Amino acid sequence: MKFKTKKPPIVMNSQSTFKRLYTLHFSLLFISIAAIIIKAYTIVPEGVIYNELDQSFKVFLMLITGAFVSVIIELFYSLSEGNTSKFNSYKGFVEPINTGLLIALLLPTVTPIYVLILAVVVGVYAGKIVFGGYGYYIFNPVLVGVIFANLSFSSQLVVTGTPLMMLKEALHGGTFTLTNMTELFVGNYEALAIGSTSVILLTFVFVYLCIARVIDLRISGIFLLTVLVMSFGIGYINFYVPGNFSGVFGYTLINMISGLTLFAAVFLISEPVSSPTSRETKMIYAVVVAVLMMLVRILGAETEGIVFAVLFGNMITPFINRTVKRSNSKTLLKTSISLVIIVLFLSVFFGFILQGSLSDIFASIGGALL
Amino acid sequence: MITEYRTFLNPKKVYLPLTDVDSKIAKVLVEKEDRVLVGQIIAYKYNGQIKTPILSTVSGTVVGFADKIDRYSKNVDHIIIENDMLNETTELKNYRKLGAKSQPRNFVHNVTTYEGIISTAQVRNKLRDLGIDKVAVDGLYTPLKFSATTKHIVINAIFTNEPFISTDYETIIHHAEAIADGICLLGIAASTESLTVIVDKFMPAEALEELGKAIVDKNIDLVTIDVKRVKAWDYKVIKKLVKKDLSFNLLDDGVVYTTINAALMTHNAIRKGLPVTSRQVAITGDGLNINAVYDVRIGTPFTDLVNDLEGYHEVENMNLHIGSFLSGIQLDSDDFSITQTIDTINVSEYREVEEDVCIKCGDCNDICPAGILPQNIMDAELRNVNLRIVDLDTHLCVECGLCTYVCPSKINVLEWVRRAKRRVG
Ligand code: SF4
Ligand code: SF4
Repeated sequence: MKFKTKKPPIVMNSQSTFKRLYTLHFSLLFISIAAIIIKAYTIVPEGVIYNELDQSFKVFLMLITGAFVSVIIELFYSLSEGNTSKFNSYKGFVEPINTGLLIALLLPTVTPIYVLILAVVVGVYAGKIVFGGYGYYIFNPVLVGVIFANLSFSSQLVVTGTPLMMLKEALHGGTFTLTNMTELFVGNYEALAIGSTSVILLTFVFVYLCIARVIDLRISGIFLLTVLVMSFGIGYINFYVPGNFSGVFGYTLINMISGLTLFAAVFLISEPVSSPTSRETKMIYAVVVAVLMMLVRILGAETEGIVFAVLFGNMITPFINRTVKRSNSKTLLKTSISLVIIVLFLSVFFGFILQGSLSDIFASIGGALL
Repeated sequence: MITEYRTFLNPKKVYLPLTDVDSKIAKVLVEKEDRVLVGQIIAYKYNGQIKTPILSTVSGTVVGFADKIDRYSKNVDHIIIENDMLNETTELKNYRKLGAKSQPRNFVHNVTTYEGIISTAQVRNKLRDLGIDKVAVDGLYTPLKFSATTKHIVINAIFTNEPFISTDYETIIHHAEAIADGICLLGIAASTESLTVIVDKFMPAEALEELGKAIVDKNIDLVTIDVKRVKAWDYKVIKKLVKKDLSFNLLDDGVVYTTINAALMTHNAIRKGLPVTSRQVAITGDGLNINAVYDVRIGTPFTDLVNDLEGYHEVENMNLHIGSFLSGIQLDSDDFSITQTIDTINVSEYREVEEDVCIKCGDCNDICPAGILPQNIMDAELRNVNLRIVDLDTHLCVECGLCTYVCPSKINVLEWVRRAKRRVG
């Protein structure tokens, strides 16, 4: 009797890369449909000619276009390589569709379709295919596409009146009142990205994906935690009126649930290929991204910092990967303690920067040096 | 699924390999047509200065020598003995506990018995004379080698194969006392007090109770683990004992790590004077009609067992795997015989697994019991950067295979780590 041999092991666990992609696919479809429905109820800004249903249709159109264009590009690439066997079943379409949908979900409703198409082309081609396809890229292709659109077509993508913008104005002396909490949770408001609004749905998907092990709680969880701690710290320094915490809570809450914070936690930062690979580096990465995001939010010209932050995180991923050599309890302890200290320090630091007191100090130092 | 317990103690012929992976030179003491007895030394094998006896496991006639593959898929000389089914033993020497009564069953024998307290040297010599020190199976397990630096004895009562096949609890239930005594004897041999038995949280109550009764007031620690969660428990337990990263060879860390079976063999050797003539082997897999745990005579050709299990399934391609599912070895032929170092054999349908690209999820990094980063090592190996491979402490890999087991892309991460290890080592 002859036997075939192969290298052990002869058993593997039931996890598979495709299963994870598929779970993600499912969640994205879910979020997309939800976005279409929610948009049908979002009040349109004054002075525009279209109505709610038009808006809903626009979202639908964007999502379809995004997915379609992404698939077409991958298909063309496979054709040029002379191997299209991957597209014989639905399996091959899952990953391109995911990318396309994500790009569409990350753009605002006002986005002209041609901008979206360009964003997808740039994201999929320059962000993914050039590097060799899924599994090889350095930057998250979704964000490459989105940042391209944001930078090149910023005038076409102007959105006003998002909660974060109001918050920023409040920080610079304007007034800010938390209006309708329920609307904020359901996602009925104008936002920078069509998919990012519904906190309830995103939380639901977050939990689901964590259980399915598609996203790594150590990245997403620590990211959220850092944002929470930092926004609380910053809020405490800037909005604390003795005996009244509502300003602090308001600031923290808006930072947590509006903007792309949750969306990023679910779909962007724990995208495995462009994030680090070990326990400790994942923690460092999450903190770096969160800190950068907060920095952009309070100081930068943009209201939303996450796209830059994650891309920056991707950029330094090879570097962070190199910093950790072992993944034992000692390294873990060291990393966690340093990260906690850094986060606490930075939240206080940022808080004071915002208050202006530090910039005064800097100004005076600068003055002394001159 | 294991459905039966069987015994196969009377093969027509036994095939005993004369050399093994370490001991490559053999000196045969018998000739064709010689009659040999159970426990008679028929050859010595040498690993440099170290001489290990090869004992006959049946009584009968030497009918010849043959080139056959052994369980490591190497072609080695085997001695063939025809079994006369009389089970006559050579003179056995045993050390009886004061007042204890013990009689080897199933054998026609003459026994010389020493009574009283047994010394370290006596146990060690006995184990060596009977060739039991080489009883190690694959994986982390070590041979029963003792030295001045030996500090801990760890006995695994659970898995021959984490976590898919459990040891047969029948053995534990029936031989609890003997096992406990064997563990104590190993402790004497190593002159250490640190005796640890690893048991499963979900072990059948009866087995646990018997074992518990036997080891109580013998100063043996019991560590319970949860085998439902795959995570190289033995590594973790031992690491806690020695309080540092483990070496590839646990003996270097002063640990002797072995199985319940070896404890039982030790007991049999010392108390009954018996050499290892049989051992427990779990035979599983969807390629066979029946799966069973065997008490099988050492030297039995595997094909005899297959016949006893009513043959193979009619499957086109099969593979044959010996030892741990995660790190064992595969043979291309079933023409080998059972040795003391086989604990499990799996015959199953050959399934090609398609590898995806590494998605850098880090699952392999998380599971690695040695706390190294297999994904990063694989990356470094792909890019040929030796410095980084050294930097990542690649030598600490104990080749447990868990990294491959968890990989969602089904990449053979262990193979890459091995390659990296070979490159720098
Ligand atoms: S690298 Fe893989 S085989 Fe080696 S110790 Fe780690 S998990 Fe086990
Ligand atoms: S488990 Fe597999 S896919 Fe994940 S990082 Fe390790 S090698 Fe890559």
